[in-house]
Amino acid sequence: MKAMPEDGELVALTLRGNPEAFATLVERYDRAVYHLAYRMLHHVEDARDVTQEAFFKAFRSLRTFKPGAKFSTWIFAIAYHACCDRLNRRKRDSGGEMPDYADTAPGPEAQAIALDEGARLRRAIDALPEKYRAVITLFHLQGKQYDEIASVLDLPMGTVKTHLFRAKEQLRRLLDDMEVTET
Amino acid sequence: MSMQDDDRTLDALDRALFALSLEEPPADLRSSILLATAYRPVSPFPFWEIAAAGAAGAVAVWLVVLLVMGGGSLFTHTLEAIATTASGAITNVATALWVAVGAATALCVSLFTGFQPVLDVAHRSGARNLR
Repeated sequence: MKAMPEDGELVALTLRGNPEAFATLVERYDRAVYHLAYRMLHHVEDARDVTQEAFFKAFRSLRTFKPGAKFSTWIFAIAYHACCDRLNRRKRDSGGEMPDYADTAPGPEAQAIALDEGARLRRAIDALPEKYRAVITLFHLQGKQYDEIASVLDLPMGTVKTHLFRAKEQLRRLLDDMEVTET
Repeated sequence: MSMQDDDRTLDALDRALFALSLEEPPADLRSSILLATAYRPVSPFPFWEIAAAGAAGAVAVWLVVLLVMGGGSLFTHTLEAIATTASGAITNVATALWVAVGAATALCVSLFTGFQPVLDVAHRSGARNLR
């Protein structure tokens, strides 16, 4: 059986003019990048645009990708910064008030969905402040690789750990509150 | 709640987070990314070839119009005027000086920045990646 090529290898192949190599990278990460964008922006179209933009930027600046670096961290960082730009634009357009696309009030449909633990967790993540939402989503996507999360967010590792701890605390409280509301 | 309970809850939260399925992206997302990047349709001719062919075509049309409108005399007179103006411009010292200044500036700028048009879209993260 042929081994799956590493991301770095695929980047090198793309730079040598092999479009299939980049297609494989897109296949590997499009869902995760979309997930990050969706959790950050709460909007299907915006998340879609950011995902496209991230891959487009990555493709165009592939030559600046340092061999040995992690492609996942790089693409997440591009997507994360694109999300921040979009959120800032939203803030500017709304005169400082953030239009929240996420409906945190439990409607009848939402209550039905809330029975599912995953859906409840998603709703709790969406209710977190932006910085905690980012860190918890990346923790979900990248696991306990704190240095990678720190690279994506451009924050010191200590700050990432603090944010993550506080995010989990808030998440736990939110989940408890949801449980109380449902019962 | 005791510290042990706290740890257990956080562990359970970690497990729940890792078990969370990813959002389902729109069905055509992947194809639209690929069409904008790796499988972007490329023209069979490079840009400069298309531009050169367009310019040659325009000149040909213009010459045909001259021939039709004024016959041979207008055609030759126009060609002579063009040749005189072009040779005058090339032999003019001021023009040559400006061309030299332009070329030198372009050379300096390319030495400082490097001629890599893709770099202008490199993202902050890309720049960090270089470190």
